[in-house]
Amino acid sequence: MGKNNLKICSDLEDIMPPEYRELVASATYGKENRGWKDIGSAKELIEEHSLCAGCPEAIAFRYVLASLPNPEDTVMVGSTGCTSLVFPHVAVHNIHSLFGNQNAVASGLKRALKLRFPDREKDVVVLAGDGATVDIGLDMTLQAWFRQEKFTTICFDNELYANTGGQESGLTQKGFVMKMAPQGKQFNKVRMPEIARESGCAYVAILTVSKPNLVERVLKNAVLIARTIGPTYIQIYTPCILEIGKQSMEGLQEMRDAEGPNDRFAFREFITDEAKAFLADMDEKKKAAAAAKIGTAAPAGVK
Amino acid sequence: MYAVAFVEDEKCIANKGCRLCILYCPEADTLKFDPVKKKAYVVESRCKGCELCVVVCNNAKHNAITMVMR
Ligand SMILES: Cc1ncc(C[n+]2csc(CCOP(=O)(O)OP(=O)(O)O)c2C)c(N)n1
Ligand code: SF4
Ligand code: SF4
Ligand code: SF4
Ligand SMILES: [Mg+2]
Repeated sequence: MGKNNLKICSDLEDIMPPEYRELVASATYGKENRGWKDIGSAKELIEEHSLCAGCPEAIAFRYVLASLPNPEDTVMVGSTGCTSLVFPHVAVHNIHSLFGNQNAVASGLKRALKLRFPDREKDVVVLAGDGATVDIGLDMTLQAWFRQEKFTTICFDNELYANTGGQESGLTQKGFVMKMAPQGKQFNKVRMPEIARESGCAYVAILTVSKPNLVERVLKNAVLIARTIGPTYIQIYTPCILEIGKQSMEGLQEMRDAEGPNDRFAFREFITDEAKAFLADMDEKKKAAAAAKIGTAAPAGVK
Repeated sequence: MYAVAFVEDEKCIANKGCRLCILYCPEADTLKFDPVKKKAYVVESRCKGCELCVVVCNNAKHNAITMVMR
């Protein structure tokens, strides 16, 4: 489908905002193998927003939106929190759900899209904070996984409630002191990736956004596996620099400091055998297609 | 007045493939690649002045970005 559904009627072109015209001219809708490499040269699917200067959630949004395999056929589901300050400025269809309800809304949406567009792949991708995913929405998160709903859940884990000023969440580290948790958290960080695996997710990954190529690989795996096999879960460290007392330029270092081999955001992936076989098969098909291309090109070069 | 980032063309090595600031700037379409000059440049009206680009460029020893008042 590509850009067909956002083309501008030529008579109205001059009154459209310049950002929209740029989207039509150079955004990567419909591009095969779109990804982080397009950043800086193609129009991104995210406009100016009100996240704090230097917020790693903003970096994460850029990589996620650059890497969605099929943005024109994707619907994202958001929830209340700092991420909800961004969704109104995102050029991918999205729904804002009541705080915590995101995986219930996404379940209904995915099923409805399947009925409405039986012959077209429609991806549903939830993107919500740790409070929404692991505390207030935990019931909805888990029930969607138990029911094997075929969509991706992304948790932007900043280890606290940022949007309401620094309360502890299930994903806060034990002992961590916040403005509104002055004695420090009494309990361990919930082991959400393990819970996701045990609850039926076919693919699970935990990472930071210090490496855009890794975010791209993980996101594509998660979305493609969710299409065909079952629920997938990605947990991404997006430190809230404001609430942990970091300067605006310190977010990247904070992520690097949290992803060493023994740290809580060391990169980890869980994948079922079925999902592994699916990815291997996809790789084979890609290689065969590439080889066929070279094969058809070769005779032309033979003199 | 606001502090915004500024790229010095003479020091920027985007022509040799560097894209560090472009990738790590938290704001979309703010640090961009100029395909003619083959250098990075800042869209000042979108820059929030976080200085993360200065950090990544300095860490790579290019020192091509400074903050300026506008
Ligand atoms: C039903 C409901 N309960 C509580 C709130 C208040 N509230 C708004 S944002 C938020 C915390 C969000 O935390 P998280 O999901 O971690 O996102 P972050 O802001 O950290 O990115 C809360 C409790 C709400 N908006 N709706
Ligand atoms: S409060 Fe924290 S998570 Fe929210 S925009 Fe600011 S730095 Fe980012
Ligand atoms: S990081 Fe520095 S050298 Fe690299 S592209 Fe940016 S300004 Fe140029
Ligand atoms: S100061 Fe921050 S917002 Fe401005 S260009 Fe540099 S990284 Fe981007
Ligand atoms: Mg949070």
